[in-house]
Amino acid sequence: MRADTARYVAGRLGTAAVLLAALSLVVYAGVDLLPGDPASARLGPDATPEQLAAARERLGLNEPLAQRYLEWAGGLLHGDLGTSANGTPVAGMLAGRLGNTAVLTALTILLLVPLSLLLGVALGRRAGSRVDGTGSTLLLLTTAVPEYLVAGVLALVLGAQSGWLPATSLVPAGDSPLVHPEVLVLPVLSLLWVSLAYATRVIRAQTLTACRAPHVEAMRLNGIPERAVLCQGVLPAVLPAAAQIWLVTSAGLLGGTVLVEIVFNYPGIGKVLVTSVSTGDLPVVQALAMLMGALTLLATIAADVVGTAVGRTRSV
Amino acid sequence: MNTPAPPRRGIRGGRSSAARVRARGGRRTTAVAVLVGAVVVAGAAGPWLAPHSPTEVAAAPFAAPDTAHPLGTDHLGRDVLSRLLHGGPPVLLTTTLATAVTVVLGTTAGLLAAFVAHRRPRAEGVVMRPLDALAALPPMLALLLVLTSVPSRLGVVVAACVAGVPLSARVVRAAALPVLHRPHVELAVARGERWPWVLRYEVLPLVATTVLADAGLRFVFSLYLVGAAGFLGVGMTGTDWGTLLHEALPGAALQPYALLAPLVLIAVLAVGVNLLSDTLTRPRAEE
Repeated sequence: MRADTARYVAGRLGTAAVLLAALSLVVYAGVDLLPGDPASARLGPDATPEQLAAARERLGLNEPLAQRYLEWAGGLLHGDLGTSANGTPVAGMLAGRLGNTAVLTALTILLLVPLSLLLGVALGRRAGSRVDGTGSTLLLLTTAVPEYLVAGVLALVLGAQSGWLPATSLVPAGDSPLVHPEVLVLPVLSLLWVSLAYATRVIRAQTLTACRAPHVEAMRLNGIPERAVLCQGVLPAVLPAAAQIWLVTSAGLLGGTVLVEIVFNYPGIGKVLVTSVSTGDLPVVQALAMLMGALTLLATIAADVVGTAVGRTRSV
Repeated sequence: MNTPAPPRRGIRGGRSSAARVRARGGRRTTAVAVLVGAVVVAGAAGPWLAPHSPTEVAAAPFAAPDTAHPLGTDHLGRDVLSRLLHGGPPVLLTTTLATAVTVVLGTTAGLLAAFVAHRRPRAEGVVMRPLDALAALPPMLALLLVLTSVPSRLGVVVAACVAGVPLSARVVRAAALPVLHRPHVELAVARGERWPWVLRYEVLPLVATTVLADAGLRFVFSLYLVGAAGFLGVGMTGTDWGTLLHEALPGAALQPYALLAPLVLIAVLAVGVNLLSDTLTRPRAEE
């Protein structure tokens, strides 16, 4: 069993490496094939041919695509994230900010896990009741609301209008946001809101199925106390699926943070990313895309390993 | 996940209660559809309904709502309501175009993948693996990556496709695979029909509900990306709802309506379409 699992994990990691290589091709070569090019797009229609040529030279767009790709991918393998359009290394630009974004995501996940489990199991056990009806409708309504809208409302209501919490996350340069916990409240709340609705919905559905399973009914009929039925009958059936959904949601948070960070002016990667997009600084965006892609793949593998470890069907 | 729930027995009465619940569900669906329809019509016809031009300075900046300007004015004194109404068509058109392209590509890829999985299981990776690689890219980064190179509405559409097609293809593939094993499909093949014909006329009609429900989710997803592009101030220009959010955020304390109005419209559209898509896939008994 253990050797089997090890082989499965190794296989999945192998597949992930191939997928990552394919993704790097899309992220580098695919973007190159798009109709626009960063040089002409940013300089606008008034740019003279000399300016364009200079910009292309500066961005290194004149070398053959294959050569540029190989250099870039080789650098990534050695942990070199490349050089931005204005000459500074990408790794240096992201250094402190990547950590701040990680703090935001980690806190959200820390809150998401217990809250979604509690809510999901509570609603699933009361399936069909009025509480469940209202709760499920609210969750369904919430899942579709983009997190930047939630962040906007929170910034307006709890931040700007009432002044209870800072609407902008002012963190002195060099400080960790953990030293100023008040700036974290609203961003974490915005991120949590939407992901919580999604995770709770899945866990509720799982609990519902588990509560109707024959073994749970048998336990109940045997007069085993409800608490023990919950801990030994229902939870073991719910937890693997819950763990999968937590991992998938965590991967999904990576994109949402960018938007929420912009709302609160949080010193994470969001600001760097958006500035890079509007100045056409492709290397920065490409490096982050690869980084996030790799993290997403890792989360997917972890979810699948958790799934197979307890005998559920593999998702791929 | 959506296995039909066993019929609920007893507790609160038999069939009449179930029928009542279903009628209530139907009414709710109608109400949601009307609400979504209203936003779509107002959005599409907006420029003709707007009392002012979107760029005209109509009053003092940050004016509070009054009869002339029901939603007040923004930081440059432009009428918020007019800007909102002018922002409808670009948002709706971009989102609809992105949805349509994604659904067509995703359904084609999904049917193709199911077909290959059915006929040559070993070769299925050729279709699905590249899509798996794309699916690893978080949608927001797909959006930002494409917009760096193509900073326009076209870029937003391309990004929505890049991020959406793998998901659509997977859903359609899962729905189509069991259908390929059905007798009427085998019969059509035995009759000597060509595979594209079989997929189009024997398989696609049976997965139409799945495709439609998926189209709803793709619409919500595309709207999310279109809104996000405007909100981040990249790609979308003019007065579309995302850009209005972007502009209203700094002055939100002084003029909350400029922020709330586009926010509510995007939310109503996203939540409404999501609910409609959900009723399509939900088995009747569970409602």
